[in-house]
Amino acid sequence: MSPLRRFLRAPEAVAGAILLAALIAMALSASLLFPGDPQAIAGPALLPPFQDWSLPLGTDRLGRNVLAELFHGARTSLAVGLAAAAAALVVGAVIGTLAGFAGGLVDEVLMRITDAFQTVPSFLLALAFVSVVGPSLGVVVIAIALGTWTGPSRVARAEVLSIRERDYVAGARVIGMHPMAIAFREVLPNALPPVLAMSSVIVAAAILTEAALSFLGLGDPNRVTWGGMISEGRTVLRTAPFLSIVPGIALVLTVLGVYLAGEGIVETTAVRRGLS
Amino acid sequence: MSLLTVSNLTKRYRRDKKAIAAIDDVSFHIDPGETLALAGPSGSGKSTIARLVLRLIEPDAGRIDFEGNDFLALSGAALRARRARLQMVFQDPLAAFNPRATVARVLDDPLRIHGIASRSERPRRVAELLERVGLTADLATRAIHEISGGQRQRVAIARAIATKPSLIVLDEAVSALDVSVRGQILDLLLDLQRQERIAYLFISHDLGVIRAIAHRVVLLDAGQVAESGDARTVIDAPQSAIGKALVAAVPRLNRIIRQDPT
Ligand SMILES: Nc1ncnc2c1ncn2[C@@H]1O[C@H](COP(=O)(O)OP(=O)(O)OP(=O)(O)O)[C@@H](O)[C@H]1O
Ligand SMILES: [Mg+2]
Repeated sequence: MSPLRRFLRAPEAVAGAILLAALIAMALSASLLFPGDPQAIAGPALLPPFQDWSLPLGTDRLGRNVLAELFHGARTSLAVGLAAAAAALVVGAVIGTLAGFAGGLVDEVLMRITDAFQTVPSFLLALAFVSVVGPSLGVVVIAIALGTWTGPSRVARAEVLSIRERDYVAGARVIGMHPMAIAFREVLPNALPPVLAMSSVIVAAAILTEAALSFLGLGDPNRVTWGGMISEGRTVLRTAPFLSIVPGIALVLTVLGVYLAGEGIVETTAVRRGLS
Repeated sequence: MSLLTVSNLTKRYRRDKKAIAAIDDVSFHIDPGETLALAGPSGSGKSTIARLVLRLIEPDAGRIDFEGNDFLALSGAALRARRARLQMVFQDPLAAFNPRATVARVLDDPLRIHGIASRSERPRRVAELLERVGLTADLATRAIHEISGGQRQRVAIARAIATKPSLIVLDEAVSALDVSVRGQILDLLLDLQRQERIAYLFISHDLGVIRAIAHRVVLLDAGQVAESGDARTVIDAPQSAIGKALVAAVPRLNRIIRQDPT
């Protein structure tokens, strides 16, 4: 059975994939469906949902189109989540590979650095970093990656430690390959599967962290974010609860979709590896 | 002058805070174009010697001279360059290659690393190498796990001869193959030796094979040389206890020796 067929047989994976597809569609179509600044005033303030069909989800405290904000927010969530996870995975894989392959003092130093990062709660680290450097999309991405790369790094190192004893690594040394080429061309690609298996959790966590930072007012001020929307809605929580509930639901569904689809992919490919 | 001279080589491993000598004061030499076999019971240190000679691990004491130079003094780029002359074929041809590699990449790597052929010339060289070891050039595009064990060991030999080495270490290189394939691979090795004067350090527990293809043999026991000399002389009339035990353990061999008294 092909991995795709097996993926399609798992209902939770399919549900995740549909959620993820919807999110990606929202992110991609945001500028087409809602051109212009989503933070511009579109109508009367605090219009409830399903009243005016040009503003299906109503407006917020300042009269901004909630649906437009939601679509543009999907963009930020997805971009930051993917970029931060990618940065964390790349940095983690490279550092883990260097530590595991070099061994000795290099391993010792790199793992102490990893320990140091791991002892600080990753959200505090992100919070501190953004507070010091100032909020912008790039900084938020780095801030989230800073607290996330240690996991992939440890997994990559453990995998590299077992791979480097294999005959084919000795074979690469025998033909005179440079140690760096052995580490990154021969060893790293084979150490990747368990590292990549972490990506669904990492992306989901990154999206949540971004929302939390925005909620605390540490997101990029020039972009709509779901965390920021929830935070703004909080001030009128009694009179207009939908302003917090709508982006909150979007956030929950996104994290769920990313996680389920990611796990589905890992599961189906892991089974394939186990069979071969 | 001999090609490889190993003198008083010692390698200890730590076990329960005690250093145990896996290799204890071992000396031997190999002449150009010669096959020296290394035999001995399991755990006697054969693979350890192979890894020491290839500088995959470092000895605690002793000296290795290769092509007239102190081989242990080399490091970094100088060592990597010299590795072209000293190659290896592993026991398990599947484990010896990157699971993601193709045949072409496996053979291209040594040519590229040692600057033996330009980028445009290398595909032709790869095809030549495949033909040298009795394979067809169209195998190049296959993944390493898509060819048979015998073909894979031929690819391993092609990779070993790509850099025109003077010595190839073969650690149980034919042990994993079934008997008919084993014979073909041994014939290929003998052909290559005749044409290119390659010397072999041939590690095997099969005294029948050793008797058939090796010029001299070194018998190891618990990390020490128990006996050494002309392969047929030693195997037909072993002097050491371990030599007698090894020969006695191979009934087929006794038949060969009786049929073919030399
Ligand atoms: N990395 C290591 N750490 C500790 N001890 C080791 C290590 N490698 C080998 N040894 C020990 O050194 C001795 C020699 O091992 P070696 O692999 O050279 O034997 P061998 O003759 O190749 O055996 P076999 O015929 O089973 O392949 C054994 O006692 C082994 O347990
Ligand atoms: Mg061995």
